Amino acid sequence: MRILAKYLRLLGSLARFTLAREMAFRGNFLVKVSVEVIWLGIMLAFYETIFGRTKVLAGWRKDEFLFFVGCFFALNGLIEMLFLENCNDFAELVRTGDLDFLLIRPIDEQFLITCRRVDWATAPNVLMGAAVMGIALARMHWQFDPVRVMAFLATFACGTAIAYSFMLVLTAFSVWMVRNQSLMEMWWLFSSLARYPKEIFLGSRAEPLGFLFTFILPILLVANVPANAMVRTLNPPMVGFTLFATAILLWASRKFFQHALRSYRSASS
Amino acid sequence: MTPPDMELQTASVAPSNVLPVDVFDEPVPRRTPGRGPLSTGRKYSNIFRASLKERMAYRGDFLLGTILRFLPMVTTILLWRAVYAGSGQPIQAGFDYSEMIAYLLLVHISRMFSSMPNLAGGIARDIREGTLKRYLIQPFDMIGYLISYRVAHKVAYIVTSALPYGLLFFLCRGYFQTFPDATTFAAYMLSLVLAFLVGFFFEVCVGMVGFWFLEVTSLLYIVMTLNFFISGQMLPLDLLPEPWVTILKWLPFQYMAYFPAVVFLGKVTGMELVRGLLAEAAWAVGFMILGRFLYRLGLRRYSAFGG
Repeated sequence: MRILAKYLRLLGSLARFTLAREMAFRGNFLVKVSVEVIWLGIMLAFYETIFGRTKVLAGWRKDEFLFFVGCFFALNGLIEMLFLENCNDFAELVRTGDLDFLLIRPIDEQFLITCRRVDWATAPNVLMGAAVMGIALARMHWQFDPVRVMAFLATFACGTAIAYSFMLVLTAFSVWMVRNQSLMEMWWLFSSLARYPKEIFLGSRAEPLGFLFTFILPILLVANVPANAMVRTLNPPMVGFTLFATAILLWASRKFFQHALRSYRSASS
Repeated sequence: MTPPDMELQTASVAPSNVLPVDVFDEPVPRRTPGRGPLSTGRKYSNIFRASLKERMAYRGDFLLGTILRFLPMVTTILLWRAVYAGSGQPIQAGFDYSEMIAYLLLVHISRMFSSMPNLAGGIARDIREGTLKRYLIQPFDMIGYLISYRVAHKVAYIVTSALPYGLLFFLCRGYFQTFPDATTFAAYMLSLVLAFLVGFFFEVCVGMVGFWFLEVTSLLYIVMTLNFFISGQMLPLDLLPEPWVTILKWLPFQYMAYFPAVVFLGKVTGMELVRGLLAEAAWAVGFMILGRFLYRLGLRRYSAFGG
């Protein structure tokens, strides 16, 4: 418990420190935020165009899908805010050997490497995503249901943890593949799987893929389960499985990351 | 998260506008190079060769990227299949399902030619940090140098991507109902080359803004993010409602993704095709002239800070 409190305090200080740094370059901050606003606008334009053509997409109605879009945007925003930039820096730390300076500190390596900085410019994404979800709920005259809200919050947290675990594994690869393609790019490609409802994986060739990405590499659980729990059918076994998968993935990715760190040879210092 | 530029792999270590070292490692010519077109050609082909070598040095990390590169295509295909199934109509804005997927594959090829990672940012950095002066004291023209460098990178990029993309197109060959005839294919090739030029000179112009503003990366981010949509990378522009279709078809951005793809699919033919290619060429020339003009104008106020 005392350790947990210590890490939370540490995270708070790091967050305050990065906020102060970010606020020193307010113009840059505003530009980054406006780029994200434009991007959300593009996503919504894409969504509107698609639903101008069809009323139902793989069983999702327009308002339900809007909730999904907001859910993915918020979740991805949270991932970016807390982890993406840190993980992206890892390859460079390995290449230059600067990783040594992080490894010698008396703090958990995984925590220090993946949570060093908070990217405040993507924090508004979480709020924007929440706003989109709110609009979607209002449009479908959603009836408040505490069970659904609880399930949503829990699976949203699980989704974040699952995405984090996958990102950690991708990050760890750069110990062996020095100078690999930027993690930013790999993450964009990989997370594209979670961008749409898993119901689109239909048909004899796509269903095995859907199964693979739901039960074996469960990236499809990320935005699907929380969005489903909130606006479509609340499926308790699926929620249970998501909790289970989260625990397994957090554990396995940590082991993998530690294994990767043991292969780090501190080349250039 | 906004889409990253897929060619960025070597960005952090090899900023694109740094002169490759071995440009100067060529054997010393026994006599002073002449000023004729031949020696000019040799000069730029040396730059081209050196850049090609630099580019090919980092091919090892290609594999994981290649596997991951297939994933968005899978979801895109599945998404559009769901859209077509949901709407119950086989044709949307003139595109049937196969054509839609073919289009979304073809915009990758368009972007292979027209995307210019780091070009504008590199120019702006040269201006800001004063390294621009190397173009002023050495006997080659900056834009000429940059274009040779860029062509080399494009060639290397296209060569190294030929395998994964070849595989992707082979797997998706079912979505291509017919292969275009010789004329259409020639027009397609031309539109791709012009797409490269439009993309190149457009970014040169954006980079030149750096003479007047210290920080253009922010402007660049906004332009690139918008470009992702308005160039037709996400969906064919025809799917958008009026007046957007008309507006976007007047802008130069469609030539960086949309236009070559619809040329390949045979959606633009006859006079319309000729007009489209001419307009594309006009945009390329227009941006070229504008870039030169801004460069001249900018050099007058350039004061070579730093360096």
